[in-house]
Amino acid sequence: MLRVSKVSVQRGSAPVLDNLSFVLQPGTLTALVGPNGAGKSTLLQVLEGQLPLSAGEIALDGEPLTPRLARQHLALMPQRSEIFWSFPITVGDLVALGRLAGRRSLCCDVEAVLQRVGLAGLAQRRLDQLSGGQQQRALLARTLMQSARVLLLDEPCAAIDPPSRRELLKVMRQLADAGFTLLVSSHDWGRDLDSYDRVLVLDRMLLGDGTPAQVRASLGDLRVGNHCCG
Amino acid sequence: MIVMEGVWWLLPFLVALIVGALCPLAGTVLLVQRRLFLVNLVSHAVLPGLALALAMGLDPGLGGVISGVAGALLAERFSHAERSEQVGNEAVLNTVLAGFLGLGVLLVPLLGIRVNLEAVLFGDLLAVVPFDLLRSGLALLAIVLLLTLRYRQYVYLGVDPLGAASAGLPVQRLRLFLTLVTAFTVVSAMAAVGVVLVIGLMASPALLALLGAISLRQVLLRAALIGMVLSGGGFLLAIQPWVNLPPGPLIGVLCLLLLPLRRFRLRACL
Repeated sequence: MLRVSKVSVQRGSAPVLDNLSFVLQPGTLTALVGPNGAGKSTLLQVLEGQLPLSAGEIALDGEPLTPRLARQHLALMPQRSEIFWSFPITVGDLVALGRLAGRRSLCCDVEAVLQRVGLAGLAQRRLDQLSGGQQQRALLARTLMQSARVLLLDEPCAAIDPPSRRELLKVMRQLADAGFTLLVSSHDWGRDLDSYDRVLVLDRMLLGDGTPAQVRASLGDLRVGNHCCG
Repeated sequence: MIVMEGVWWLLPFLVALIVGALCPLAGTVLLVQRRLFLVNLVSHAVLPGLALALAMGLDPGLGGVISGVAGALLAERFSHAERSEQVGNEAVLNTVLAGFLGLGVLLVPLLGIRVNLEAVLFGDLLAVVPFDLLRSGLALLAIVLLLTLRYRQYVYLGVDPLGAASAGLPVQRLRLFLTLVTAFTVVSAMAAVGVVLVIGLMASPALLALLGAISLRQVLLRAALIGMVLSGGGFLLAIQPWVNLPPGPLIGVLCLLLLPLRRFRLRACL
């Protein structure tokens, strides 16, 4: 169980995250929604131990989350724009990079992980020969290879077509059902939101927290400010 | 003696071959890290160190490496400071580049030393000495060792820098090693193509080698081979009586010819 208590983060004098508190239970698929600049990526990086807190605390199963503990149990899948997709690498080699995360003894077989994300048989394919949705699933496979139980996915559904998005959501659901804890950021407020167990609405502070239906009821049509798209 | 006179070209040819392999290896890693700008910066930033080392009676290569790394670190530090203010890093890099180049040129009269600037800038393969062979050989060994020991980490850093940091890879240390090897490479290539033309030999073979490759290892091997053909072939061509041109600039021009070749291959791949 990942517990976030009264967490604040500042850059200079400006607050980026303000007094956030929530709990993520194992085996749940949680959406983290909010407009661009709401602090979603910052929150994921904070959880992953890459950014320091200004206030508050984060605990994993009751233990304070140190950078070392974060590296052992949490894995971050970066935004699509962070990846050099033309890099000369095969899908299998990309996925195998997950073993470098320092938990080699726990690692599983590349082909088994590829099968889990629906990319069986594509290990020898060059990364830039995959479709956008397949590339995202390959990246998810590499994140799985890190043998973490909490997966932090930064806008994995951005810039991919609806069928690929549905396929990715299906894989994420299967992972949650298998016991993984998934926190998935998105600035898209479409119908896909119903695929999640829970929704956290963020705009520097937590504006909503509940099931998609509960959050819809409390925040109208899930629009915050003028930023979000439907 | 007569035998030595007959093979006078052997030493510069060997230096050309080693530099031809060395530069594309370092250039390929920088290209896939999207840090090729570093070559231009380091190649100009080596000059103050060269001048100072000469004035102190030390090996100019050592001064060049220290100065090149110092320039790169300085640029990186100021770039980080500028990033939060959304100012482009290129302006910072070019300012450091010009500043170090200017300082290097100023130090020559200030320290009262004699430097053949033309040879430093454009290379002079015909004037190489056995120590140049040793230095370029050591630089080749350094990059091969670095890539052998840290290959997968550089792959991770190239394809996903944020993921590499998140996975706990020593990103800053890996970048520092690469900067060091780049500076060593530039200094070693100085004798062959000079600090200005080295960028061509570092970038163009990698561009061609990248096409259709399935691994960084494959790109590295291809690029080194292309670089050796360019550099060694360029030297042999330059010394032909009917050509008789300076080898460094000729190698630079040959690098340019790779671009249409790349375009042709790119079309063939599609």
